[in-house]
Amino acid sequence: MDSFLSSICRNINLTAFTRDAQGLFIPCSAMPDWLVFFLVKSEETGHYNLAEAFPYLSCFMQDAEEHWQAKRSEPLASGVWIELDELNQELPLEASIMYLDGQEVLLLQQLGEKYTQDLSRLQQVRNSLLTQEMLESEIKRRTLEIRKREEEIAIKLVSLTSLRDEETGAHVRRIGLYAAVMAKALGWTPEEIDTIRVAAPMHDIGKIGIPDRVLRKAGILNDEEFNVMKKHTEIGASMLRGTKIPVLNMAADIALNHHERWDGTGYPQGLAGEMIPASARITTIVDIYDALVHERVYKNAMPEQEALGLMQEMAGRHLDPDLMKLFLSLLPAMRRIRLEVTEEHEAGSKEEALEEVCA
Amino acid sequence: MLQKKICLLGAFSVGKTSLIQRYVNKLFSEKYLTTVGVKIDKKPIIVGSTSLNLMVWDIAGEDDFTNIRSAHLRGLSGYIVVIDGTRQNSFNVALALHERIKTELGEVAAVFALNKCDLKEHWVINHEQIRTLAQLGYPIIETSAKLDQGVEEMFMGLARQLVPENSEA
Repeated sequence: MDSFLSSICRNINLTAFTRDAQGLFIPCSAMPDWLVFFLVKSEETGHYNLAEAFPYLSCFMQDAEEHWQAKRSEPLASGVWIELDELNQELPLEASIMYLDGQEVLLLQQLGEKYTQDLSRLQQVRNSLLTQEMLESEIKRRTLEIRKREEEIAIKLVSLTSLRDEETGAHVRRIGLYAAVMAKALGWTPEEIDTIRVAAPMHDIGKIGIPDRVLRKAGILNDEEFNVMKKHTEIGASMLRGTKIPVLNMAADIALNHHERWDGTGYPQGLAGEMIPASARITTIVDIYDALVHERVYKNAMPEQEALGLMQEMAGRHLDPDLMKLFLSLLPAMRRIRLEVTEEHEAGSKEEALEEVCA
Repeated sequence: MLQKKICLLGAFSVGKTSLIQRYVNKLFSEKYLTTVGVKIDKKPIIVGSTSLNLMVWDIAGEDDFTNIRSAHLRGLSGYIVVIDGTRQNSFNVALALHERIKTELGEVAAVFALNKCDLKEHWVINHEQIRTLAQLGYPIIETSAKLDQGVEEMFMGLARQLVPENSEA
């Protein structure tokens, strides 16, 4: 190699080697001091086993071999690796190989400043990414906190009506959990699933506006009383509407429509089919299931099989038939909620575990 | 002496280099210095009656800017997938890397490290995710390079999988 090219190699910390028939490397440019430290073992022969001196190259040699065999003249880079020199300082190295003028060539470069600059750039990028990840995680944590508060407020609101009718705290919680299971199976987004879990329990909140003589009447309601009772859907919706809070908007939809029927014979608007919001169609199914299989002061619990038989008869008339099918396919999850979210188990870890299932 | 190549893999900044530094050199630094490229450390150990020279490959963390080269995985005897318990994304990257290795190399000895257990109150990895990891059937070890917790156990847990059973005491 002429002195001009040798100077260039020296300035860019690059050493060129050719490979001999035994697979050893012969330097064809002057070796810099830093390299001597690594190749000192085979100094006497002048032929070097680079893969032995630099274990990193062992993983590169297979690609190199294929490249040389194919006699490709374009360079193939090994990727950067770090070695420690005699002063225990890091040396960033990279090898490139090519086939030139009938020779198998390997260039070994100490990257020096270029590596430092790349490292510094990448360090900045990764620090920014870490900050971004940290902020996103904090936003998620706070959003979850807000969700939990929303849920607590919803349960408190619902408990106001529970003081007057016979519904229990556990019933309203179960409604939310069942609805969330349905929403998840329907492929709703995590935000929508969370929303219906909090919103569905508020479906009967309008009962707060129904007079005791109707709400707490022991016997069957007459037509006038039933018309008063029907008003709880609109009262609930008007209580919940008028904000920009998604959970209250969905709760208003559910409150207004959870007595609509698939065939259009429900109330208050007589909506039919998919005109009824999906959130309300889901709530109707899970509310009926939970009411049937649990005991109330005015009725005994119905055996589950009997309740499901009854509900299947309602599918296509009262209930959305597709959602009913989905509900039946999710029965194991529904049963788990029914059996574990009871008055006795109101607080505690089991419910948290269930919310994990629904999340 | 038996020589085995092992790799530490994971998202960037999960603590791969810190775990190696703690294990090989008994050092720890709080400062995060990103790794570019590959650094190989050697650690001679004894497993049962077998002397083993671990070649520990510290491979730059995976992200949008850095992909692990298939060539780096050649000759791999085992690997440790490191997850930062405080970062959700590191869990997803870990699973993706594990899947990739299974696809490229088939069944290879492995250990999952749930790192930064000194920051456990800030962990975001939940029980459901840990159950998912457990179902993969590899040892899961909680580690902290800072407190030197679980580090030896993690490397030895992998090393024990690398030597034939009858060589163990």
